[in-house]
This record gives sequence, structure tokens and C-alpha cells, in this order.
Amino acid sequence: MSYLTLVEALARKRYVILREYPVNTLTQLAVTYMFFAGIFFGGQAVAGAAITDSLPGIIVGFFVWTMAITAFAGAARSIMDDAQWGTLEQLYMSPYGFERVMAANAVVRLLESFAWGGAILAAMLATTGQSLTLDVLTVVPLVVLTVASALGIGFVFAGLALVYKRIDNIFGLLNFGLLFLIAAPTDQYPFLAVLPLSQGSTLLQRAMTDGVAIWNLPVVDLAVLVATAVGYVAAGVVAFRFAERRARRDGLLGQY
Amino acid sequence: MVLQETLTFVEPLGVDVTSSPRSDDGRVDVAVSADGLRKEYGDIEDGGVLAVDDVSFSVDSGEIVGLLGPNGAGKTTTIKMLLGLVTPSTGSATVAGVDVEEHPRRAYERVGAMLEGARNVYWRLSVRENLRFFAAIGGADPSDVRDRHDDLLETLGIAEKADVPVRELSRGQKQKVALACTLARGADVLFLDEPTLGLDVESSLDLQRELQRLAREDGVTVVLSSHDMDVVERVCDRVVILADGRVAADERVEDLVEVFATQAYRVRASAEPGLRDAVAHAGTIESWTERDGIARFEVVLPDQEAFYELVDAVRESGAALEAFESVDPDLEDVFVQITSGDGSRATAKEGRAGERATSSPPVTDGGDER
Repeated sequence: MSYLTLVEALARKRYVILREYPVNTLTQLAVTYMFFAGIFFGGQAVAGAAITDSLPGIIVGFFVWTMAITAFAGAARSIMDDAQWGTLEQLYMSPYGFERVMAANAVVRLLESFAWGGAILAAMLATTGQSLTLDVLTVVPLVVLTVASALGIGFVFAGLALVYKRIDNIFGLLNFGLLFLIAAPTDQYPFLAVLPLSQGSTLLQRAMTDGVAIWNLPVVDLAVLVATAVGYVAAGVVAFRFAERRARRDGLLGQY
Repeated sequence: MVLQETLTFVEPLGVDVTSSPRSDDGRVDVAVSADGLRKEYGDIEDGGVLAVDDVSFSVDSGEIVGLLGPNGAGKTTTIKMLLGLVTPSTGSATVAGVDVEEHPRRAYERVGAMLEGARNVYWRLSVRENLRFFAAIGGADPSDVRDRHDDLLETLGIAEKADVPVRELSRGQKQKVALACTLARGADVLFLDEPTLGLDVESSLDLQRELQRLAREDGVTVVLSSHDMDVVERVCDRVVILADGRVAADERVEDLVEVFATQAYRVRASAEPGLRDAVAHAGTIESWTERDGIARFEVVLPDQEAFYELVDAVRESGAALEAFESVDPDLEDVFVQITSGDGSRATAKEGRAGERATSSPPVTDGGDER
């Protein structure tokens, strides 16, 4: 058994499904872009040139937000979809183990988040005429560690989806909650760095707007980023296991 | 019914699954084992449901066993406990010699299951994409099993649909795709819930032949649940009938039918004045019609000896016997009899030692499947 085969199979399935729902896929991107465009053009109308100073931060924030939403919601939404389609139990009966299938699925969603994040970033830069530092060796690891904490939260909600099936309405609320986490002023209030996304967002701002390379970032800041990523993923896995046990106990796996 | 009184509810087999003997080719002889499975949803004393109560049976390698029962009998819960999808309240289950609760991943290396028919596959993916996906999920490299996929598509008659999205197929074809995905993993043990649902007669027969071939030639074990008694009677070596969450019968199909065989006869004779009284003297008349001087009737005799009394009685009444046939029950008759819910149903199962005994019918609270 190869995990690469597993990831490839899940990625291929995801690609076919995205291709089969083009309107839904494009609408998702368009809504995110329009939200940004509203802030940008609205801000220009109200604040004029003053918004230009904070624009790089807004762009990076939106970039992180897009990726976080894709990764966070993807894990839970795939559980809901599979439960609805009747395929959840088939995934559960994989010799890889359900948890690993879900982890591989999270990797696929992470890769997908890069695609959406990249597309939105390009659109935002083209709209505003701004430029950012995109050092791949710095941005990619920081993004992965940042989004990992969102994935951990995603696992918690995947567990909730396993038991309660339809939790769509929570997403709308949480999507905006993520914005606050991304915008959390960790420089002013260092304790906020333990929140998911917050520390990663701060470090990405420095890397992309100030052009700081990852090896020039304070070790303590990076350690906090790694710790929060590992911590939230671990918490997510524990919560998911708990929900899985409950779903099996109550015979809820195959229900929708 | 006299014969029912000779029957008994099944005693748990108590198979020691941890020491399942293995045959020469490495397969375990007992492929599936349920040992005292019980499932309660919620607190029984507080309005909860007892879905399965002390269910025990085993299935040998290469055997095809039908799991039957009316709606709410506990079939689905039992299958899901055997597959580790539902945690039993008590009892244990093994598949291919592996405890499903202890080592689910090892068990899943050997198992294929079709639980929701056509809903078990992705309708947006093509037939071949589904096969590839489920092969990969099942631990195989899709490229390595492509030939097997081609064979399966050919066998199930959907080869020309290989690149068509499943959503564009008919219901029966979707069912075949789900089945192909289950078989594609090359599992030793298959659990199939209503595998022939939605299939046309020809496809259903093809599938039945394929299941029998898999069992006979490849030693694949099949546990199937179906409401189609003809399919079960044709394909299964043995049936386990559940009623109200308990095993009501666990027998080979022919043995079960034989046990429930009655001394019932359908007779045609010339209608003479004393005929009806003479027949009533020999047995119980179930039906009686007379037309154009011919009497057609069905009579149940108390025992085999009474057959000769009936023949003599007909002859003495002056009637000429025109036709005479035994009315044999089929599996459906047996199933209805066992699950009739009149409190007097019983089973033909013998205990492990082979002795027969009588016992009270099972008492359960509810028994809804979840």
C-alpha cells in the first residue's frame, strides 16, 4: 500500500468533482474576489490614497483567508458530501484506516488551497497594481504551517459532521471568525499568537510585505508557529477520534 | 404446526475466533464469525432500542450465506457490526480470522462490502474512475488491477460503459458498478446488501453465477442480504434468518425447507358424493373446489402413514384419482413461517452437539434497524 497512491486517488476524485461543478467552483472564487474588490474599491472611495498603505496587509490577509477556508471547510465538507452520497462507509473500510484517508484528503485540500490562494493572490495583485515578495522557500513553509492550524480545526468540524452530518450553517459564521484570527494583533498582544492562524498570518505579513526570509525570522516566533500547528492538528485528530467512536457507537456512520 | 414444535432457537455457537484453524492455502476456515453480538441504542429501560440480541453464527471460507429477516430484524446492524462500522454493545466479530474491533485495518484488507447499492459509488466519476478510486482506497495500485477491472466490466456487461459517468447509467447499471467496485478489490470476504436489486433477470443470473464461481473457484466467502428469496435459494449454501434481533434459524437451505415440509397434497379426482367426507377423515382440507364433475382440493395429512389412508379413502368413496402432487414449501414459505411473529415461530437449527431441543421464542424490545 502506498500513501502516494491514496493521495493521488483522492486528488483525482477531487479534480473530477470540481470539473463537474464548474459554476460552483468559479462562484466560490468569484465571491472571495468580489469581497476583496468591495473592500478595495470601497476603501478607495472612502479613504482615498490612505488605503494604499494598508493594502499589502489586506492582500496577504485575504490570501491566507482563502487558503484557510479551503483547507478548514474542505475536511468537514467532504465528510458531509460522502455521508450524503453513501460513500462514507466505503472510505471508512479502507485498509489505510479512516483517519489516514482523512489525513490524505486534508493534504489534497491543502494542495487545492494553494491553487485557490494563488489564483486569488494573482487577481488581487493585478487589481491593485501592488507587488509582494513571493519567496517560495519562505512563503510555502509558512503557509503550510499556518494552514495546518486551520486543518486541525477542520478535523474538529469533520468529527462534528461525522456525528451531526449537516453543519453547513456553522461554516458561514466561522469563515468570518477566521478573518478575526488572521487579523489578530499578535505584535501588540503576543498571547494571541496561540490562536490558530494568527501567528502564521503575522509572519506571512512580514515575509511577503517586508520581504523577510524565513531564516531571518525570530526562532521563538517560528517555534510558536510550529507548536500551534502541531497542537491544533493533534487536538483536531483527538476530537475526530472521539467523534468517530461516538458515530460507531450510535450507528451514525452510514446515516445522513 | 406440528413440525414447528420440533424446532428450536439457535444456541450461540461460541466459536473461538482467535484460534480459527487455517487451511493449507493460508485462508482461515471460519471466514466470518459473530459471537454473542448485541446492540443497544440508548438505554433500553429509558426508551432505547435493542436492535440485535445475542446473535452468533459463523461462515466458513468459500461459503455463501444469506442473511435474511423482515425489515427491522437487525440484519443491517449485524452486518455493520461484522464490518466494524457499528460498535457492538457486547460480543465480538471476526472477519478472515481478524477481530474487527481490535484490528479493523487488517480486517479491511480482506473485505469488500456493498451496503447501499448504487449509492456506494461516486456518480460524477466514470465507471473506470470509480474502479480505480476504490481499488486505490482498498490498498491496491489501480494500474496493477486494470485487467481484473476489464474482466469484471465484461462479466457484468458494462464494458462499453467504462468511460461513462455513473450518473448517466440506468439504475441496474449503477448497481453493477457498485458491485464491480466491491469485487474489484479482490477481497476474500464479501458482504453484499441486496446485490441484485434493480438488475434485470439476465444480469441477476449473471451475477449469481459470478458469485457462485467466486465461492467455488476462488474460495471467496459471501454474506448476502436479500429480500429476493429466489436469489437466496439459488445462490446460498446456508441461510441465517433474523427475527426481532435474534437468530431465528441457521440452516442449510435444503435442510430448512425439508424441516418445514408438510404432508400437504394437491389432488384432482372425480367428484363423488362421499369424497369430501372421506378426505376429511384422512386429513385437514385446506381448499376445495368442484367443477364439471371434477374435485380439486388441498389436504394436509397428520403424518406420512396417513397418505395411504387418504388413497384408500378416495378409492372407497368411488372417486377416480386423476392427479396427485406433494406441495413442497420453498424458502419463501419457510421464511414467512419463521418470521410470522405469532410467538410460536421456531427454527430448525440444531445445537453444536447436534441435539434438538425446544425453547421459548425470543423476547426483544423493539428491534428497529438504525
